[in-house]
Order: sequence, then C-alpha cells, then structure tokens
Amino acid sequence: MATLWSQISAVLPPNEEEFLLQFSDTVEPSVVDVLKRSRQQLYTDAASASRTLNAQIVLDFSWEKLNTGTWRHVDKEWRRVYSYGCLFKVAALCREGPSEDEIRQAIRTCDMGLLMGAAIMDDILQVVVGILQGEVQKSSKEERDAEHTVIKRVKMESPRAPVIKEEMAVPRIKCPSLESFNTNYLLPQKPVILEGIIDHWPALNEHPWSIDYLKSVAGCRTVPVEVGSRYTDEEWSQTLLTVSEFIDRYILNKDDVKGLGYLAQHQLFDQIPELKEDIRLPDYCCLGKGDEDEITINAWFGPGGTVSPLHQDPQQNFLAQVVGSKYIRLYSPEDTVKLYPHQSQLLHNTSQVEVENPDTERFPEFTKAPYHECVLQPGDVLFIPVRHWHYVRSLELSFSVSFWWS
Amino acid sequence: MRWFGFGFNAFGQICVAEGKVKCPTELSGGGCCSESRHIRASWSRRASLSLDGGSCVSLSGFGDALSSESCRAPLAESRGCKDALLGELYLTLAFPDRIESWDLRKTSKTPSWRMDIQTQSESSGAPLNLPLVPGGFIATKPPFYRPLSPDLRAKSLALGAGHAVLLTATGAVYSWGLGSHGQLGHGGLTSEEQPRAVEALWGMPMSSVAAGGWHSACISDGGDLYVWGWNEVGQLGLPSQGLRKASQQQISQAGELHHDATKGEKSEEVFISIQAFPALLDVTPSCEISKVSCGSRHTAAVTTTGDLYTWGWGEYGQLGHQSFTTLDEPHHVEFFRDQQMRVVDVVCGTWNTFAAVIKEEETCSENKTPSLS
Repeated sequence: MATLWSQISAVLPPNEEEFLLQFSDTVEPSVVDVLKRSRQQLYTDAASASRTLNAQIVLDFSWEKLNTGTWRHVDKEWRRVYSYGCLFKVAALCREGPSEDEIRQAIRTCDMGLLMGAAIMDDILQVVVGILQGEVQKSSKEERDAEHTVIKRVKMESPRAPVIKEEMAVPRIKCPSLESFNTNYLLPQKPVILEGIIDHWPALNEHPWSIDYLKSVAGCRTVPVEVGSRYTDEEWSQTLLTVSEFIDRYILNKDDVKGLGYLAQHQLFDQIPELKEDIRLPDYCCLGKGDEDEITINAWFGPGGTVSPLHQDPQQNFLAQVVGSKYIRLYSPEDTVKLYPHQSQLLHNTSQVEVENPDTERFPEFTKAPYHECVLQPGDVLFIPVRHWHYVRSLELSFSVSFWWS
Repeated sequence: MRWFGFGFNAFGQICVAEGKVKCPTELSGGGCCSESRHIRASWSRRASLSLDGGSCVSLSGFGDALSSESCRAPLAESRGCKDALLGELYLTLAFPDRIESWDLRKTSKTPSWRMDIQTQSESSGAPLNLPLVPGGFIATKPPFYRPLSPDLRAKSLALGAGHAVLLTATGAVYSWGLGSHGQLGHGGLTSEEQPRAVEALWGMPMSSVAAGGWHSACISDGGDLYVWGWNEVGQLGLPSQGLRKASQQQISQAGELHHDATKGEKSEEVFISIQAFPALLDVTPSCEISKVSCGSRHTAAVTTTGDLYTWGWGEYGQLGHQSFTTLDEPHHVEFFRDQQMRVVDVVCGTWNTFAAVIKEEETCSENKTPSLS
C-alpha cells in the first residue's frame, strides 16, 4: 500500500519546472515570491514549520483579498491564489506521516479551497480530497457500525403534516411526455408534481440516502450550514461544519444544541462527485434554452422544522424530494403585491409575511392571494415555474435536490 | 530614538531572521543613518525615513538581497525628500517642490509618475504630510492623485485596505470607501463614494486617526481612544465570539473542561462582531492615549506615560507579547517596560508593528523632541 504522500505527489507535476505559477498583474510579485518558495519546498527537503508558514502566508494574504469588497468584485486571481495556498497547506500537513487529525485538517483545507477558491491545475483539490477521503474511510467504518441504533430512533419522529385542501392541491401527473409537459405546464407556467420520474435514481435504489450512507460518503467534508429558523431572522447566521458534525448536532441532536441547522442551497454535488452519481438531471430540463452545464444543482438537507420563507427565484426549478416530506405553498407572480416583498435590495425577492401565521393587520391583502399547496413525498418532483413564490417547511428529516434551469 | 519591530518578517523587513518575529527586535541601521527616523511599512517591505541632514529613504524587505550589513544604502533618488508613503507596488516620495511615485517592480531611473507642487513657504502652514498633498491625496495605486474638497481642510489622512479616514483642521473625522464591515463608522454597512462626516464624533475634537484592513480608530484631544469596524479577531479590543469559540475548542480538545461548566457565563456575554459606530475603548484606566496605529487586523496604541498596548490578530507575533496569541482586549507590551524604555511612537505594518523608544532617563525632557543620545 502506497503511503498517503506518495499518492498525493503522484498527482502533482513531476518537478518544479512543470509546476506552473502564472498570475495576472493583480497578484503582487511579493506574493508570487512566497508561492514560489512553497512550490520549491514541495520538491525539496525543508523544515516542516517553514512549509506550514509559507502556505499559511499565502492563505492569510488571499483571505484578506477575498474579504475586501463584495464577493463578485473580487478578482478571480485571488481565488486561484487561495486554492494554491490550500494545496500547499495540504502538502505541508501530509508530507510526513500525518496523524488522523492532520488528515482531517487536510480534507477541511481542500474543502475551503473548493468552497472559496477557484479551480487550479485541472481541479487538483478535487483529486487530492478524493485521495484523503479514501484514507479516512478506511479507519472510520467501524465507528459508524456502532452508531446504527441511534440513527433508527430519529426516523420515528412523526410529521406534523397540514391537511391539504383539495381545491388548492398542486396537480399530480405520472411521467408525462416532454411534449405534454411543455404544452400543459411549462408554456402556461403552471406548477405540477411529476411522479415516477426519479424512481431510477441510485439515491432511491442502490444507495438509498440514509444518515449512515451520507456519513460514509461525505462525513468528513466541510459544508456551509445555515443556523437559525429562517434566513430573514436577526439571529440567523452561516457556519462551516463537516457533514458528520452537522448530522450529530442538528439531526441527531447529540450535544443538545438549541436551534435549527440547515444545509441549504449548497452545490454539494460539485463538491462531492460521488453523490452526484446518485442523481440524474431530469429529462425535462432539455426543454430549456440553457446548456446542461448551466443548470445549478443544490442540496437541501436538514431536520424537520426548517423553513424557507416565501420567496421567488429567477429560474425554473425542479425540486426533487429524496428523503422525508415537505409542506410547500406556491403563489403566482401575478399576486406579488399581495405578498409584501421586503423593500431592501438584498431581500426584495422575499415576502415579509409569515405564511403559516400571517399578521393580517400589517398585511391585509395577503389572505386574499390565491395559492396552491402540497406535501412533497420521496420520489416526487415539484415543478416551480420561474418567479413563482414558494414557501417550504420540512415536516421531518428531509433531503431535497433542486435544479435551477432556464 | 531607537526603533523596534515585531511580527511578520517573511521578507526580512524587520531583521535577518525567520518568518515571524515574536520578540521586539531593534532595527539595524540606527547608528549610521540618522537619529531622527520614521518608519513606513507595507506588507513585504519597510521604509526608514531619515529627516535630518541629507534626508533620504532606505528600504528593506522584499527585493532586498537580505544583506547582513547593519545599514542599507539609502535610495539615491530619495535625497532631499520630506515624507514617504510605501505601498505594495509603489514608493511615493514628497519633496518640497514635487511628488514622485516609483514602481518598485522596475529598476527604472525615472519615477513612473510625478506632479509638481507649490513650494510651501514657512508661513503657508502645514508641512507635507503624506498621503495628503496640496489639493488632494496620493493613493497607493494609480491613479495616484485624487482631489479632495478644500472645504474639508484636511489635516491628516489614514488609508485602510479599502477605506479612508480623514482628520480636519477643526478635529472632525470624515470617512469614505468600503463600508462592508462598519469601518466607516456611519452606523451602516454601505460604502461611500465621497468623504462623509462621522456624525457620532461631532463636537468631540480629535487629534489623530488610523485605518486598518476593516477597522478604524481615532484619539480625542482629551486622549480617549475610539474604535469601529470589524472585530473578527478582536482588532477593536472588544469581546469577539470567534476568538472565544476558538479558545474553547482548544480547551475542550485538551479534554479538561466540560461544556456545561462554561455555558453559564458564556450566555451572559455580549460579543461584538461589527461595531458600526465609534465606541470608546478603555485601554488603560489611568492614562491618556497619544498614538494609535492599525495593521490589517491588529491595533497598537501608545499612552502618554510611554506604554505600548496591542490587541487583535497575533499569529505572526505582531502584538509583541512574545507569543503568537490573538487577543480581544488591549494588553500591555511588557518588553519595553522591562528594558526601561519609553515608547513614543508606533507604526503598524500590515501584519507587523514598529515602535519608537527612548531611554527611560530621557523622560524628564518631556514632550521635547528626543535629542541625540
């Protein structure tokens, strides 16, 4: 069995000359100098402290650039520099027979690069994290076997499902043809639940997504988590946790943490390709004008009780329910004035109304707005036409996948 | 006057040593260059500015061949300059009749930019005080010259990573630029294109201003220190949640402390992440603040009694406490007191700190410029 470092160095360029470091003028020569020192240290013997320091300097400097000004105005070069810093830090951590804790730190470092950096060297961080994960999975299998009993208990939680009024129910249809979906729903922009179109997903068959399975595939990976009931609350914040920490804290409630945690609107499938193999793009997306690689796939994973306030998105959406159930309410964009969107630039796509407990004095028109509603069950895919307002509350442990397309 | 430096040293800008200097170390070149010196620091370099005799600037740090000589050759081009401003790419020099910006990436014999200025006669008042120049100020990147309204009557100006803090002749404070982390002190997080008065400080004349990466500070005429902006690593000297979390994690990793034991007091505490209005900071209960300077994520202040206090990010040793600890409250730098030295000035680089000291005996010649010792 090859050592971890020999596996990692096998995917690095064979020598310093072939390891290119090219940046635009945005990146100052002094920073490039530290990058070059780090590169040299990859191929020579250097004190481990010096390796760690140079990598940290690159990370600290680019982190400051990433935090100066708004995210979309940050020069992409700094995101590349940040990724190089992550790569060098991983190399420093793994060079000399790393401990299990150091390997976990290295995985976290790769994830930070994947989340905040830009792809470098044919997405080498993705390749490296695969190697590191293989190393951790070997050792953590036994731990998980011991936890089996706890997991069963959680699934018993009974859902607090509202009764769906028949006249307001979102229509359901089984595997319509592309043509009929286009004519009856896409063109007239009518919401519908498509049944039976994801039954073939491995996520519902070969690898049914369970807490156990998610921990084994993604447990050590770092993801962004929303903490707080809803994103419009004062107390709401975002934090970074590993998938295992998230599951233990917010789904199994192991450390008695108060409050809700929601792994929401995260492109998990770009970060963890193994999970992407468990899902498929719905065929109906081809009715759109955009390219297949322009489709944004987001994961929504959390306990019962998570709420996405009433809001609208600028793209068509297929919301596929894989685990658990969700209560969803839909309003047409025609009724926007009755929904009282926030005034601020940042939240103007979000309604001020608490849908299931509206303040009728402040928002008198709200109750006059007609709506559709449904409880989405595993295997269901809800078509939410572009700009249709939607409110989502999970009724139990839930995992949904959304596809935004145009 | 002697200068000491500590913190980030990856380019040897403090001394010939490893990448981080945690113990205050005297800057070389004190003896042979000049007695009256000033320090300017960018991320990768340090400029020593000598003002007496043949005034000049010498650079150390990135691009310097790390010579072990005690005195670096001053830049020939800087002879006669009165002030200097050091950025990551450009060195700006102020002469009595002109301003020049030199591109540090090139070995060219001519400046990459220059402007003529009216010779300041003795009577016309303020000496050159970069980045301020007559009619405007000099930025660290092109376009170098940026005009300022004469109505502001600017007295001094501090440039942060993305924002600027200006002090007027009447002691009012104006700010503009990026406001994402409350660094402008107007109470919100929006950016400002034009100088806007920090209204919360109205009526309290200030004597000095400083700007860091995402935070700002100023000193009132009465010697009080005000701070505002981002407190992510305690750079404001106010309780920082991120910092407490990190230290608690370390404790619980050590396996000594149970979670429940800390919960009680934790919930009582009020943490500050962003301070969008100026807040009065009690550095030390008994004395006044005379100087303040901000690094990208740390702050340093000198008291009228000659003590140096530092707080904020400390991972490169920039706090001078002979450790790499980050602190969210002001701590006294013991080193200088232990050496019977009195700190008279402080200048923060991006990730390092430089302090000017005089020997304790000289304290009797109070407030006078320290003479040749």
